[in-house]
Amino acid sequence: MSGHHLMGPGTTLRSRTADAVANERLRSNVARAVDRFATHRREGLDELEDADGLRRAARAVKQQVLADLPGLLERFADQVLARGGHVCWAPTAEDARSYVVDVVGRHRATRVAKSKSMATEEIDLNAALESAGAQVVETDLGEWIIQLADETPSHIIAPALHRDRHQIHDLFVAAVGAEPALGTEPAELVGFARGRLREVFLAAEVGITGANIAVAETGSIVLVTNEGNGRLVTALPPVHVVVLGMERLAADWAQAELLLALLARSATGQRLSSYTNIVTGTRGDGEVDGANELHVVILDNGRSSLLAGEYHEMLACIRCGACLNVCPVYRQVGGHAYGWVYPGPMGSVLTPLLAHDQPEAAELAGASTLCGACMDACPVQIPLQDLLLSLRRRKAQGAGAAERAAWNAWAAAWSDARRYGATTRLATWGRMVAPLAGRLPVGRSWGTGRTVPRPAERRFRDRWREGL
Amino acid sequence: MSQGHGGTEHGDRERFLAPGRDLLSGGIHPNPVHVPPPTPLPSDPVPEPRYLNLDPDDLVSTFADAVAHAEGVCHVVDDDVPDRLLDRIVAELGERDGTSVVVSAEPEARAVGDRLAARGLGVAPATPATAAAAGLGVTSATAAIAATGSIVLDSRRAAGRVASLLPSVHLCVVPVSRLFATPADVLRRLGSAADPLPPSLVVVTGPSRTGDIEQLLTLGAHGPTALHVVLVTDGLGASPTSGPATA
Repeated sequence: MSGHHLMGPGTTLRSRTADAVANERLRSNVARAVDRFATHRREGLDELEDADGLRRAARAVKQQVLADLPGLLERFADQVLARGGHVCWAPTAEDARSYVVDVVGRHRATRVAKSKSMATEEIDLNAALESAGAQVVETDLGEWIIQLADETPSHIIAPALHRDRHQIHDLFVAAVGAEPALGTEPAELVGFARGRLREVFLAAEVGITGANIAVAETGSIVLVTNEGNGRLVTALPPVHVVVLGMERLAADWAQAELLLALLARSATGQRLSSYTNIVTGTRGDGEVDGANELHVVILDNGRSSLLAGEYHEMLACIRCGACLNVCPVYRQVGGHAYGWVYPGPMGSVLTPLLAHDQPEAAELAGASTLCGACMDACPVQIPLQDLLLSLRRRKAQGAGAAERAAWNAWAAAWSDARRYGATTRLATWGRMVAPLAGRLPVGRSWGTGRTVPRPAERRFRDRWREGL
Repeated sequence: MSQGHGGTEHGDRERFLAPGRDLLSGGIHPNPVHVPPPTPLPSDPVPEPRYLNLDPDDLVSTFADAVAHAEGVCHVVDDDVPDRLLDRIVAELGERDGTSVVVSAEPEARAVGDRLAARGLGVAPATPATAAAAGLGVTSATAAIAATGSIVLDSRRAAGRVASLLPSVHLCVVPVSRLFATPADVLRRLGSAADPLPPSLVVVTGPSRTGDIEQLLTLGAHGPTALHVVLVTDGLGASPTSGPATA
């Protein structure tokens, strides 16, 4: 694992959450965004006959892919090689970073254009390229905004959704010299970014992308974008580097087509994104554009260790963001509170599994109400809630002796009617302390902001016995 | 590092794949708290999505509606691109990014380019340099998809990608013989040995857009701000015998 900086020096999950909850502007920006996404998603899926049946089929497709992943990766790599692409097998983040830095260095490239990629965020590729002397520009508008602000993505498909138009305007003025007279209408802000980033595309010597799907039977990379940055990054620079998470395979085009039918609708509600770009090999004879050199970096970075265990279903994730948009916790705190590149329910599962060196990663399993909305939204039916429960169980196994003794005592008490009765009698004494919640030395943080109901004076079982 | 058939291979393939192979050889141990829902068997064919907005008896109307749904403009014409449409597009160009035009290599696109040149516009074959300076790019599609309002552009037929990407306005001409009902009809035919995939095949659904500012739809993020699709129902080899190029 990379020693990623994202947890933020001096912050904790608790402090980040408290900061987010106290930031009303952030919360209203996030709530507005996820509501729009969730509404559009429902409208998009309603146009498919038996969308739930398709989700079941998509789940089966991903399970089949994962069960045969080593074989499919070999087939995919052979096809890439046959079409003139280079393949790098990268077991670790460091292997991937050093290969890409090497490719960029070999071309003496100083200008690198990137299209949005969570895998490159995961391995912190930009920092490695910059310390090797290359200038890296993110070209997805949201990614560019957060790059200028020196922030990390707060949503996997809308990285800057925590910022509103006024904040983006002020950032463009402060960071890239936009005229203060630039308007705050989205069209004006987009027009400014289009002009600036057009220069980047035309000058870039290397283009770097991720991949939404890699199709084994043809060695194709599928890149889905709305802005067109994925097309520009693969059309103009002479060198194209793909960083591919090893689990993102489909065996054939039938599988890929089903996943694509669900991906855009689950993400933004579109029938298809504006550009579903299928890249197969290098520039052809007689073509005026396209990369002459293609590198596909196949990244493990902890994924293969999940392949056969109880968390293997997490590898089915197609990164649509639907689980973020329906999560009541994400809605309140946004993406940065989670502390690593993947937020929301999928991040709460993936971060503890992939980011072993993040001290608080295991705490994220608690960042859920277990309402199950994420499972209902997932286009490949990942049992996110059950995986979160498993992670909680795993964490509990590492609990201290005192905590375990307390839970054992509770379990023993409540599995016996007489002892259970004794505890309810004890609870009536809580009448005296309940109003003090938040002011007592014990449980202060829990009690703050909560109204604790006073237990009844007499227990229901006593009143029942006396004929109510 | 070993020499492949064309590209080269870096890192150790066997060492990369061994951990996953070892784990999978012992079978998959599912999540104990999760009772998985029944799933189709591996031998079942992958089901094709069915689209409620698709009228199988009227693909042309379904397509036209879907292009509009994706913020594009669809023109259904009997025979070739009408003069009044070219006049309108040229008139709008003046107000945008210059009136020069680039055309991709397909004959349908070049024919439109010739007509624009006859109107006195500067028309050039598309290259990154000419396309970056052009206001209009003219292409033809190898296929069109009714259910999603998409056009499919093939870099081999077009001799490149930039004509549909860099100019602010994209005009694409497609004969109805290349109109398919669903994405599956196009995508599931890809990859036959007889017809290998081009270096770039792109399914275009509406103009370039972003929602990155307050999730509000804004057109023309990096690619074209406007997309005009001309579906030719007769002429241009629109008869079914000419056959879809992608099949």
